[in-house]
Amino acid sequence: MQQVINGISVGAVYALIAVGFALVYNILKFSNFSHGGVMTVSAYFGYFLASTFHLSLLVTLALTALFGGLCAVIIELVAFRRIRNSNGPLIYYFVSSITVGMLLENIITIFKGSTFYAYPGLASNTVVRMGSITIPVMNMLMLVISGMMLLVLMWVIMKTSFGIAVRAASFDVNTSKLMGMNTSQIISLVFFVSGFLGGISGVFLGISYTLYPQIGQMVVKGWIASVLGGLGSLEGAVLGAFILGMVEVYLVSTVGAGLSSVFIFILTLVFLMFRPQGIAGNVVRDKA
Amino acid sequence: MRKIVSLMLLLVLALGLAGCGGNQNANQGKSNNTPAQTGGVAGDYILIGSLQDISSSTAAWGKGVVNGAQMAIDKINSEGGVLGKKLKLVNYDTKNDVNEAINAYNRLVNQDKVVTVMGPPTSNIGIALAPITEQKKVPIFGDFMDERATTKNDGTPWKYMFLGEPSCSQQAEISASYTVDKLQLKKIAILYNQANAYAVSHVIPFTRYVEGHGGQIVAKEIFQNTDKDLKAQLTKIKNANPDAIYVPNYLQENALVLNQAKQLGINIPIIGNNSYFYPLIDLIDKSITDVYFLNNVTFDDQEVKKFLGEYKSKFNEDAPLHAFFGYDNILVIAEAIKKAGKVDPEAVRSALENIKDVKGYTGNISIDPATHRPLGLSMWIMKIDKGKYVSLEKYLPPAQK
Repeated sequence: MQQVINGISVGAVYALIAVGFALVYNILKFSNFSHGGVMTVSAYFGYFLASTFHLSLLVTLALTALFGGLCAVIIELVAFRRIRNSNGPLIYYFVSSITVGMLLENIITIFKGSTFYAYPGLASNTVVRMGSITIPVMNMLMLVISGMMLLVLMWVIMKTSFGIAVRAASFDVNTSKLMGMNTSQIISLVFFVSGFLGGISGVFLGISYTLYPQIGQMVVKGWIASVLGGLGSLEGAVLGAFILGMVEVYLVSTVGAGLSSVFIFILTLVFLMFRPQGIAGNVVRDKA
Repeated sequence: MRKIVSLMLLLVLALGLAGCGGNQNANQGKSNNTPAQTGGVAGDYILIGSLQDISSSTAAWGKGVVNGAQMAIDKINSEGGVLGKKLKLVNYDTKNDVNEAINAYNRLVNQDKVVTVMGPPTSNIGIALAPITEQKKVPIFGDFMDERATTKNDGTPWKYMFLGEPSCSQQAEISASYTVDKLQLKKIAILYNQANAYAVSHVIPFTRYVEGHGGQIVAKEIFQNTDKDLKAQLTKIKNANPDAIYVPNYLQENALVLNQAKQLGINIPIIGNNSYFYPLIDLIDKSITDVYFLNNVTFDDQEVKKFLGEYKSKFNEDAPLHAFFGYDNILVIAEAIKKAGKVDPEAVRSALENIKDVKGYTGNISIDPATHRPLGLSMWIMKIDKGKYVSLEKYLPPAQK
């Protein structure tokens, strides 16, 4: 039973990463690994806020989320806009996103050093105890926030005109542009929301796993979750994240941590080969 | 096709020539127009190489080593240097990467012509460098604790590799003896990073000692470099119902284990290696207690306190344990150069083999010529008690006395 809780709490971390990641995939059809860089930078920004101004957790989260959103918008402007304007092939986006991710990680290493930091006094270790089972409060909070974010996002995408625009753009960016939509604005907004979530993930990662420059490399887990759930599908990303969390914990407790990562990557490969559209089953279209 | 091949050949040739030219220039520049007589000397300086991680996952340590070494060098230079010359550190970043470290070692030997290299405190790199030193013949003195970095499989020492602190198996035995003999904890679980040579070579001798002295290993759980959530492993350990958990990994991983064990309500003693020094205490829950770990120095020592204060005022952060390693490494290397009487890697190597009683912060260092590791260095048992470090005692297991 405790292992199920462990799986859900790991899944909650992955879900938050995966949604921010899937959002960009949804519209531009490439895996945005610069998301890891945004998480790293945000995690340090949040630490700076919390340690210098002694802000509460929620205020830190809100400000860091805005900061993360801003970062992602800037990254889009600097690293992706030109490629998009010149109709560059997908591989350019991919390479560019990895480069930005590494760049941000190295900038942090240079300016903040690579000692480890811990978020001050944000009650990272409080747990709820039920009999012999313990549930970490921080993981519950993550679960609730990623759940809320997902619901809000789904509502926005399904019900608002911005959402319709996003869906249209995700179907075909060029056609929507021809139809007179301001696709650049929509893409910027999508990046903002993605970075917003990245900011929240960054703070939570920093609180749960201490702060260090390579923290953003957790983005790989978000990517695997997206593959399992269905690249570009938001519900799929969340579903994939929880499945990934559960499977990981299950494998660690049965075959051990060494083999578990091997199995996870085999699972990912199998999905890519036989069901690239993932569990949720959105048909992934290559950008024309 | 032919065109491409000939173009490539031309390119290789050009690069080769450029490389040679560069080298000559570099040498001329360094020797300040005085003819380069012996290796390791540039003008008025004796060059000591250094390979430390400055920008990657173990950079906190690498920087500590470099800063500590610089403090020793400043002190030695202010007292007149060695053999009438001043010491100078040439440090390259290994990025905690074996290939980067090998390239950097070759550069230190071929271009900078250093007399000795201060090695990194990471075992993976020490093991990889050992066979290369046999060809390059410039000794490395460092804190790679894995035995394989200093001795070959047949037990004979790597000629040019030297260790400055007790080795993994010595330290693991101290931990094991303290747990089983002193604390009387017999059912032990182990949680370690399987991808780290340093952690693995703690676990093997620890297990051997515990099982040979009436104890029992009830669970042995592993994780990988990228794993940050270890609650699944810890839950398994909890179900095995041990008296204590042995956690011998790098600092951040140890902090994660302590916090997550606390979250799961595991309230048994945790036994640690010598990676629980600053800043670990700042990374863990303040209510955590009953953590026993090894340390090379104690805070009760006035000299150590003074060093910590100086370090903080100089570098504006708490000194990691590795600052003491850097300091002591330079003391030993300087002593060896002094003993050799000349700035020559081969002569310094022989002197390093016979170093006796160099008084450093981590103890009186004497090198055993048979193993190239320190002899009879006891260690401090420290305890973490609600957000504080407490020194308990200096301990050597009966077997090592």
